[in-house]
Amino acid sequence: MSIFLHVLKIIVIVIAILFGVTFTVYIFNLDMKLTAAIEPWLLKHYDKIDRDQHL
Amino acid sequence: MAKQVGADRLGDFYKEGSRVRKRREWRGLVDTMYDYSRWLGIMMTLGKFVMKPRNVKAMFRYRWMANYLAVPMMVDRHTQGLRGEYLRICHEEQDLVIKDVANLLDSLFRGDRRIGNDKKFSDKVVLVDENEMTAVMMGFPTLKCLSRETPSTYVSVLLNQRAACHYIDVAQEFGLAGDVCPMPEAEAGVSIDDDAPILGACAIQCNTTCDGSLLGNGVISQRLEHEDGIPVFQLAAPLRHREDDVQEYAAQEIRNAIAFIEKHTGVKWDWGAYFECAKRVNYATKCRLEWLEMNRTPYPQVFGSNLALYTETNYMAICGRIAAFEKADTKITKLARQAYAKKKMAAKEYRHRAIVWGVQSHYYMDFLVWLLNCWGIVPLTDMLSMVSTKELVTEDTPENREQAIYDMAWLTENMIMRNRTHGGYKVLLDELWEFVEMFNADMVILWEHMSCKALDGMHGLFEEKAREKGIPLVWVSHDLFDPRIISRQGVRDQINSFMRTVMQEEPIDPSLEILPDDQSW
Repeated sequence: MSIFLHVLKIIVIVIAILFGVTFTVYIFNLDMKLTAAIEPWLLKHYDKIDRDQHL
Repeated sequence: MAKQVGADRLGDFYKEGSRVRKRREWRGLVDTMYDYSRWLGIMMTLGKFVMKPRNVKAMFRYRWMANYLAVPMMVDRHTQGLRGEYLRICHEEQDLVIKDVANLLDSLFRGDRRIGNDKKFSDKVVLVDENEMTAVMMGFPTLKCLSRETPSTYVSVLLNQRAACHYIDVAQEFGLAGDVCPMPEAEAGVSIDDDAPILGACAIQCNTTCDGSLLGNGVISQRLEHEDGIPVFQLAAPLRHREDDVQEYAAQEIRNAIAFIEKHTGVKWDWGAYFECAKRVNYATKCRLEWLEMNRTPYPQVFGSNLALYTETNYMAICGRIAAFEKADTKITKLARQAYAKKKMAAKEYRHRAIVWGVQSHYYMDFLVWLLNCWGIVPLTDMLSMVSTKELVTEDTPENREQAIYDMAWLTENMIMRNRTHGGYKVLLDELWEFVEMFNADMVILWEHMSCKALDGMHGLFEEKAREKGIPLVWVSHDLFDPRIISRQGVRDQINSFMRTVMQEEPIDPSLEILPDDQSW
């Protein structure tokens, strides 16, 4: 029983931490702020790709 | 930061010069937790997508894939200010469309010669245009109907207002005219820029709506047929779609398209699958009619971008072929009935009931949400949502098989946009005023897509009729895919000036009148 409660406690703590982290990311729009920082780097990468441009 | 509708100053979420907003809305505990759970769901969909190495490879190969970094923000733009059932309706639609586009991308990259190069899979793929009714695929359940233009240009511009600019520039650098519709021009630009996935047993192109569309298809099919070795069928649906004398020709085009697909894929048309899809099309029509019926009352429920974006996807791109959309129709209808019974409103004040006509600015699809939140204008319905409501035959009999060919032809002729921009004076001008009466509207918002020749010629006729009927009409100019010509603020300014000067009104949420979203996705 005590092992079960211990495991349950760990699960609850992990869920609480996951919720805390993901909710912070969600409410402060951190996911979009991160991807907005990645975009310029990606655009530079696309400019370097060799392309067979023609009509 | 409140549970009540309209309690927030929504303009305060924007930040000058930023791609993204400062934070997400607090909508009260229940709605915030609901929105958060749907955000987690979107993250899972995106996570599953990037788990596959070929999709990551594609991310680094195709420029337009960078726009998919903005998927959650697209949903945030459309859910702005929404609470309760309206928020849930929006998520039902948007989240399903996101899943559907993720599946489309995954399939494209699986068959793409540059990425997954799964030849067996590619041999089961039929490519279609972005702006094409997929009715001819209803009887081919074992084939994959994929559009390259949908993710590369159509969805990309929904995600990022500047997504098409690079491709428009490429097309013009190669001498294509600058005054055609930027949508087909951008699609041609993707092909010229060597940025389209290469796959498929064959392709079906359609003479969608305009000169630009024909120009774009010519450029794309040249590369597909002569370089990639993918045969292309040109489905030329009649433009005078209300005339009886064109229907036999239209039906023959459908027969020819089906025969072409059978020839190049080796797969036979399946009538059982067709009639199953036809039942789902009828169900979608029944639901849409119920939503529109509610929108005629003082308590509209499925309207604005909730109506427009979903109808575009479900009517044309899905066309009964994917069962998940039937479930979404049921859920949306249930939510709408619930809200209607409680006489709920999506904003704190409804000041005007508007019909939105013409082709909307694609880089500002959430303009309809803005109209509601800023000025209390309820966009009851829009031109692109007023599509065919004809019931298709669903019982498999020899007579019905013949009728079904005509039904598919009718749907193809009545694709979104072309069913209004072509087909004569009645479908574009007269029926607008019939809808104004039917929906008890007191205002018309007329998009003026400046590169659309089909609508530009009718300018004076619309104004003359508006004066005759005594209905306030406001023109809103834009260039569909190109915010460099008229910015989002340029679009808003036209409404702001009209509301302040002609209507002599003040905004409901003044923080939304001028927004620093020029650099925003």
